[in-house]
Parts: sequence; structure tokens; C-alpha cells
Amino acid sequence: MKFVVCIKQVPAVSELPWDPQTGTLMRDLAEGMMNPACKHALEAAIQLKETLGGHITAITMGPPAAEEILHEAIAMGADKGVLLTDLRMAGGDTLVTSHTLGMAIAKVCPDFDLILCGCHTSDSETAQVGPQLAVELDVPSVAYVEHLKVLGTTLTMRRLADNFLETLEMDLPGLVTMTTKHYQPRYVSLGDLNDAFLAAEILILNADDLGLDPERIGIKGSATRIQNVYAPQAQKENVVLKGAVKHIVEELFARFGDRIAGAIGKDLDGRQ
Amino acid sequence: MYGFEHERGDSLDFYPCMKHKVIRKTVREFAEIEIGPIAHDIDQEARFPWEVIEKMRPMHFFGLQVPKEYGGADLDSISYAIVIEELSRVCAAIGLCVTVHNSVGLYPILKFGTEEQKRRFVPLLASGEIIGAFCITEANAGSDAGGVETHAVKDGNHYIVNGTKIFVTNGAICGAPLIFAVTNAKNSKKAASVFIVEKTTPGYSVGEIEDLCGMRANPVSSLFLEDCRVPEENLLMNLGDGLKIVLITLDTGRIGIAAQALGIAQAAFEASVRYSKERQQFRQPIGSFQTIQNMLADMATEIDAVRLLLYRACAYKDAGVTFSTEAAMAKLSCSTAASRVTSQAVQIHGGYGYSKEYDVERYFRDAKVTEIYEGTSEVQRMVIARAVLTKPS
Repeated sequence: MKFVVCIKQVPAVSELPWDPQTGTLMRDLAEGMMNPACKHALEAAIQLKETLGGHITAITMGPPAAEEILHEAIAMGADKGVLLTDLRMAGGDTLVTSHTLGMAIAKVCPDFDLILCGCHTSDSETAQVGPQLAVELDVPSVAYVEHLKVLGTTLTMRRLADNFLETLEMDLPGLVTMTTKHYQPRYVSLGDLNDAFLAAEILILNADDLGLDPERIGIKGSATRIQNVYAPQAQKENVVLKGAVKHIVEELFARFGDRIAGAIGKDLDGRQ
Repeated sequence: MYGFEHERGDSLDFYPCMKHKVIRKTVREFAEIEIGPIAHDIDQEARFPWEVIEKMRPMHFFGLQVPKEYGGADLDSISYAIVIEELSRVCAAIGLCVTVHNSVGLYPILKFGTEEQKRRFVPLLASGEIIGAFCITEANAGSDAGGVETHAVKDGNHYIVNGTKIFVTNGAICGAPLIFAVTNAKNSKKAASVFIVEKTTPGYSVGEIEDLCGMRANPVSSLFLEDCRVPEENLLMNLGDGLKIVLITLDTGRIGIAAQALGIAQAAFEASVRYSKERQQFRQPIGSFQTIQNMLADMATEIDAVRLLLYRACAYKDAGVTFSTEAAMAKLSCSTAASRVTSQAVQIHGGYGYSKEYDVERYFRDAKVTEIYEGTSEVQRMVIARAVLTKPS
């Protein structure tokens, strides 16, 4: 089987400071890491490869520094890395990202059987790139998949949708986006990591290599514009209960008993 | 790489390479997830966490610089320092176990062992199946290795080893420690030799675990050797080469302890920065006061400075040039910084810093011994001063 896994480098911390002038995240302050859902998708591909055999191409788009997650992917078990990097591609929205990835996959692995993406990224949360990429390549896709099984050219998938556990089937080639539910990424050994830096197959491609239309990449080709980005204003209302301990406890349950019960999942009505 | 592989013209490159960044990130993630949640408890309970060691084995933590043919990760020395730094940032006692195992328990066999010794012991050590240790210290011999009383006497094709080693790091868990013993008291320069002694040897026994101030999760203990019959093929190098082995081994060991001290300092610094932002006094975060800012600035500067000294020693080692003085400088400066930074961290945390509830109290206790073992700060100064004074002016 030929697998392609799309991975993205995201800032390693969840709460980055904002630049109040521009309203953007101060990404320079953060170290990059492989997006968690992408890492789970990669783990899923590696586990499938371990049982079925095959070849995994990990592909990422980003600044030159994003190359590090390709080395990491190779240390985990991918066979080859592809970095799509070009200043002209910077600032693209999900539409041009899907288009760029589609062009790259058509070039480096046109005979793929399965493409795996993370279901969303921790830095933008759109969840659009995977499904759009399937449209670009004209293959079927299923999003938010938890578990995969391959039988011949059929992929059986399990996913949770609106509290129902769905089992779906899809003919290959196809694309899935994976959640972080089932495939816990393995720890890489330091020796494999060292090897992945000393001798890894990494292909670096720019817009010209991919034959991309300059009108369809980067900010220029993007169909969407970000109007404004701001931190949500969390409203916290602090309530201070005063008095003797017995009184405070009684007051606490009288006022918030239902919420406490909900949080701990117990019915507190019979507590008297 | 720092200082040697100049990719950008003739300037020194202080920027960590991609590999070193990823190794740091990988070890940090492992340490924070697998060791972080128990670091406080294993210190309090003085418990060695075998369950974590189990997870560390397949990740090559026990064969960091061992060539692949013997089952190791074959890392460069800066990567080695980063691994120890990151483990120690979360739990110095585990960092200690790993660095002592790699740098003084395993490295001498790799460097000085015969092919047969390497094939027999290195794969077992590199996989973490057995843990290593190096035993020099005795009741009457510390900085002065010449005072060692443990002795080995030839008997046929065996050596009979007798003596007591104390303060053995990894003492209660090691499987094949290296024992420094006197073999010819008359020849002062070639008095001692080093033997690989397997714990299954009759007469080998482990003493009580020491009740120490810090590094409490590491089972530091005494080792007793009573008429231990050690096969002559377990002698490392030649008879009388003990001191030579010790001196070369300690240069490498010092890199490890410097990295450990640096990791402790880093942890204390990060805790202090966090606390300075959270802790409110006089209705403002204490980090807004210049007196706290000054402490943080000093801590940050000192940590960065000693880190560069450490990585320089590592780069020299990898370049194959003499690094003895550089390793001593790194060890002296990193351990001094660790003691100072952790002390300031306690100060910044005030009363809470003195409480076992907060990690800085553990960092403070753990830091002190980095000024003592693997050569005290006084011994490091001796090494450095000797180099300074013998340098042609």
C-alpha cells in the first residue's frame, strides 16, 4: 500500500501571546511541533504499514524550519519526506493549501492508495484542508475517523458522530482525516531520530517545481481574508462564600449542587 | 554543532541545529509525560521507578553514545548533554542514573575494553538490561583516589577482590559495576586497576541505601566485595592502568554532571519565572518588582553562560581534541550556577519555596551534590589551575 500523510508544524504552546498591534499570534516566540492530530494520522499509517507492508510519504508545507517534523516523521516510521516551501506560498488559506498539496501529491506519489490527514490543526482549527484535498484529487473522503481497517481495496472506518458510533466503508484510493482518539503516537528512539537526521530522504519543492499557477498560491490565490483575530473575552464571575465551614458547604451545594453533580457525574439529591 | 562546523563563513555558530532541537523536544516530552507526574513522589519516597526505566530502554537512553552495532543510539556529545539536561530538568535522580550509567559505567568498557569485553557487556548495558556504575569512593578515599584500600590479588586466572565502596550511584541497581582497586601498592603511578565485577559474583553484596539530602530516587548505596573471584578477562586494559582509565573517564563523566546541574538550574529558573508572574503581593505580580527582575536576569544570564561552556566541552570532545580543562570548567560553572540559581528560586518562592509542596525545594536539595560528586568544585579548580599554569606563556 502507498500511504501519504499530510503533516503540519504548529506552535508548541497552546497560549501564545498576541501582538496587540497586528492582532496576530507571536509565533516567533514558540518552538514548532508536529500538530497532534497529524501525528496520530502518521501513527495510524505506520500501524497499517506494519501489518500490510507499503511505503509512507510524509508531506508538509511551511517555512524551511518545518523540515524538522519530516525528520521526526521518518524517525517514527515514514519512508520519505517532502517539504513544500516557497515564500510565494506564504499566507495561503485552506483552499490554496489544499490545491498546493494536491499538486504535490500528484507529482510525488500519484499512485497513492490512502491519504491520511489530521482532522484539524491546533493553531487554526479549520478542519478544511483534508476534505478539500480529496476534492482536489477527486477521491472519496471521510473526516474525523477514529479507527481504520483495510481489506483488499476497501477501507473500513469507525468514527463517532453526534454520539453515534458509525462504521463506514470506502473504496480506495481515498482520503481520511484522523482524530486523536485511537492511534497514540509512539515515542521515537533517540537512535532512530539521529539516523533520520544523518540519512533521510527529504525532497524540497517550491512553486516552480510543482508548476503552480502564481495566481492560485499564497495570499494572492486565497479565496478568504481574515478580517480580524482577537482573544475571546472570558467572563469569570467570582463568588466568595463567607461564614462558618458548615454554612459555606450548605450554601455551596444549595447554589451549585446541580453543576457539581454534573461535573462529577453523580446524582447528589439523596445526599441528605 | 557549536563552534566547529562552520556553515556560515568564519563566524561561530551559536544557533542549535535542527537535530539538537528535535532531540531536546523529544526528551522533554517524554520526561514531562512519563516522569513529571511522579518526580515529586519518588523523591519523597526515595523510590527508584523501574516502570519508567522500562519505557526508557527501547528509546536508547542507556546506550546514548554507543555505536549501533552494539545496540546504541550513536549520538554526538552535544545531543548527549541535551538528553541529560532535559531528563534532569524534570527529575535529576533519573538524569543521574542515566548519565552515570552511560558516561562512567559503560563508556570505559567501550573505550578501553577488549572486543570480547565489548561484545559481552556493552549490548547488555546499552539496552538497559543491566545498569552500570563506577566505584572509586571509599571511606578514606574521595578526591584522593590514591587512598583507595580495596585491593585485588592474582590467584590463578582470577583476581580476588576485597574492599568496601561507598556512595555508589546506581549502587543498589547496577549489574556490572566497574571497581577501582589497588593491584600493586608499591608502584604509585600504576598502583590501581579497574575490574568489571558482575553482581552475581559470590561475595558481592549491596549495603543499605544512603539517606541523602537530594537525588533521593537514585538508590545510592555501599557495595561490599568479600573474596570476590573475578575472572582475569574482566580486567579493563592492563594491570596498573586504573588511574589512567579514571582520569579519562571522569572528563566524560563531568560533561554529564554539568548537563545534569544545568537541567536542575533550568527547571528552577522556569519555576521562578512562572511564579513571578502568578504570585501577587502589594496587588501586583512580584515579577513587576525590580528586585525580582534582577534575580531573574542574573539567573537567565548565568544559565546561558554555563550552557555555552558545556556545549563547548562537548564540541571539543566530538572534534577529538583535548577537552579535560573545558570539561572541568563546564562542570565547575554548571554546578555552581545550579546551586546559586536554585537558592534564588527558593528565595523568589518565599515560604512556599521552603515547603516540600513546591518543586524548587527539591531542585535546591538536588543541586548541592553536583558541586561534590564527579570531582568536587575544588578538584575542578585544581584541574583548571594546573592547565593554566602549565600553559606556555
